[in-house]
Amino acid sequence: MKKWLNPSFTTWMHRANPVLKLVLVILLFFVALFTHRLDFMFYQAVMFTLLLFWQSGYAFWKVLLIVLSFGLVFISSSSTMILFGKGDEMWWEWGLIRITEESFYRGIHIGFKSVTFASEGLLFVLTTSSVDLFYALMQKVKLPPKYAYSFMASIRLLPMVWEEFLIRRNALRIRGARSLKGPRGWFAGIKMYAVPLLSQSIRRAHRVAVAMEAKAFNGNGRRSYYYPSLFTRYDPLAAAVFAAAVVLALMLSDVFPLFHIADVRYSANP
Amino acid sequence: MELLRNNATASSTYTEFNTAAAVRDLRLKYPETDSFVFKDLSFSVRRGERLLLLGPSGSGKSTLLQVLAGIIPGLVEVPMRSSEQVIPPSWGMLFQDPDTQFCMPFVDEELAFVLENRGIPREEMRPRMVDALEQVGLHLPEIHLPIDSLSQGMKQRLALASILLMDPEVLLLDEPSALLDPEGRRQIWEAVSRVAEGRTLIIVEHRIEEVLDLGLVDRVALFGPQGQLLGQGAPEELFVRCQTELEEYGIWHPGVWDRFRASEGQAQEAEKGIMPWANPTRLTDGEPLLRPVIELSEFQGFRGDRTVIQIERAEVYPGDFIAVTGPNGAGKSSLLLALMGLLPSEGSYLLCGERFGGKKTRTRQILALSKKIGFVFQNPEFQFVENRVDREIGFSLIEEGFSSDEIQRRVDHALDQFGLVGLELRHPYQLSLGQKRRLSVAGAAVMERPVLLLDEPTFGQDAVNTFAILNLCEEMRRRGTAVVMVTHEEQIAEAVATRRWEVREGTLTDCGYTNRGSSLPHKVCETGAVEVLL
Repeated sequence: MKKWLNPSFTTWMHRANPVLKLVLVILLFFVALFTHRLDFMFYQAVMFTLLLFWQSGYAFWKVLLIVLSFGLVFISSSSTMILFGKGDEMWWEWGLIRITEESFYRGIHIGFKSVTFASEGLLFVLTTSSVDLFYALMQKVKLPPKYAYSFMASIRLLPMVWEEFLIRRNALRIRGARSLKGPRGWFAGIKMYAVPLLSQSIRRAHRVAVAMEAKAFNGNGRRSYYYPSLFTRYDPLAAAVFAAAVVLALMLSDVFPLFHIADVRYSANP
Repeated sequence: MELLRNNATASSTYTEFNTAAAVRDLRLKYPETDSFVFKDLSFSVRRGERLLLLGPSGSGKSTLLQVLAGIIPGLVEVPMRSSEQVIPPSWGMLFQDPDTQFCMPFVDEELAFVLENRGIPREEMRPRMVDALEQVGLHLPEIHLPIDSLSQGMKQRLALASILLMDPEVLLLDEPSALLDPEGRRQIWEAVSRVAEGRTLIIVEHRIEEVLDLGLVDRVALFGPQGQLLGQGAPEELFVRCQTELEEYGIWHPGVWDRFRASEGQAQEAEKGIMPWANPTRLTDGEPLLRPVIELSEFQGFRGDRTVIQIERAEVYPGDFIAVTGPNGAGKSSLLLALMGLLPSEGSYLLCGERFGGKKTRTRQILALSKKIGFVFQNPEFQFVENRVDREIGFSLIEEGFSSDEIQRRVDHALDQFGLVGLELRHPYQLSLGQKRRLSVAGAAVMERPVLLLDEPTFGQDAVNTFAILNLCEEMRRRGTAVVMVTHEEQIAEAVATRRWEVREGTLTDCGYTNRGSSLPHKVCETGAVEVLL
């Protein structure tokens, strides 16, 4: 499973400084957040999904698998607004459900917004290793090492918890431990797993902490860094590509507008 | 003990040049416990000394090690008081569990962590790392290697290498070989003996064959169950002088296995002729007279698409005690899981004449198998399902629908048999390591199923508990249970088991009889069947 999660090749997006990437992606979030024009939103979603295919470093079919799940993101985030949103141009009404033209467009606008957030976030996550990120955060924005190393250490512990979960499941299957039906059984079931897994994890975390401190790690002292975090030519390149994606989306929405809606926000007096 | 304390008091302080670590009048107690771990203990270690701390489980050896290093009370807050504590200026500690000493995913990053903590410039890091790995005999193709890809023994040597990077004057080792296979154990101790030159060494370890063979220590300090110092001295001298204490508290020491075998031998002698042990290959020619409980042929177990265990042909008979041996990762545990139906399998698997196995791991089949097989996991805590010791033992009996009188009778018997009387109302998690282990065996054994599978039940246990478990298994074997035990313990495989299954690289390569197995008497009934006394 771990192998599956490793990128199959590195792009220059991987080589850009994680801190800069983080800032850029947050900026992009804001651009998407304050976009009210449906066409622009749509093209942003398209551009960043394409960028995901191009720059994530994962095989085409893996990215496709992820992008297909965006459909779910789209439907779940847009449906509420489509079904219950405000609007005057009524298309269909059934009980509480009122689908109006305005609510429909606002719904799919939110859908595209979520897809944009998702692909921007994934682009960051898939091209940044946690170790790189924390080294960059320590060196560039002075994140206290005690937080950085706690995170890195806990990431190492996650697969062990998963393995123990599998062992516990096997043990319960052998012992034939059946849980009751209903909420009480559900609660008992959670307890069956939570108690042994938590007690193991807490003990393990404690041991790791002692081992780390025993290696002269005092959390906030002066330290050197094995991986230097530098700004390179890949950083302006990454910034340029992100900017280009946004500009291109804006231009496309002017040249090939699909929806012709300038502002999806509801206003009672048009 | 009195004498020792007086000695300590006589030299008024430890601030002499040649004291590496010391504590005086130590009183230490863990919160919410009734008794002191140490009461007025004074202990000191000279510079350059090589010391072994020995004692039964729970005697506070590891705690003392942490006090000597200043981990207690510096890093871990435990209520303690002492009139004086000398902490070595530079020290490094190697812990028991190879998996909980690292915070980074790659070998080089982990080593760099130590160098970063010390503020070593980046350019100097690589040569230092390579040098440290060289010292512990860890030859890797490259140093940017995922730690998860190393074996447990290699991880432990990596941990040692990272400690060397601190250039410690005092090396503290907290049972570093307890969780390793014999190969890993040998290698870590060889590495320790290579790097011990010019350093003070303080070792806590249960399994001391390698430590003594390599001549690693020049002083042994023996602790009793209440943290009292029973005696100290040169190894050869101490093991003779404190023979009674070593026996009484069940501490691993040279010759402990001989003692165990001797007591076994006496028991055998007494029961000669009624051994319910069957060796059909040595019976009269023709049909085997006793049906095997398990018959495997062309059997394969899978994890995903990978074949993890392969058995051409093997049988298990009632009264067999099979030790499954082989290096870590060879497929021993997978073998047990496949027999339990927890891994998909292919080929023929007959259990008591019924056909099992298959490409799917079905819950119903696992339940059917668990009616015939008791299973003991490596970590006892994972198999506990109840919150009281007596209910934990009775759990399967209730599931099977026994009458409450019968359940009570069997639970009482098991409590007695497994040395858990008086602990009925405790939560299983509140037991000691050895008690947990015995409880896990009790829970699996109380049903008296024809087969009992155990995954390294003696791992990390002291001598008393190891022998208690072995005796219990032997008792069940004599009643006709087939015991299959994964173990790293050469002594168990040779002297306790009757047969040995050797697993190498996912294949069962050998399933011959051990010395004990081929010398045991057996009894054939007049009807021609081998008698099994149940």
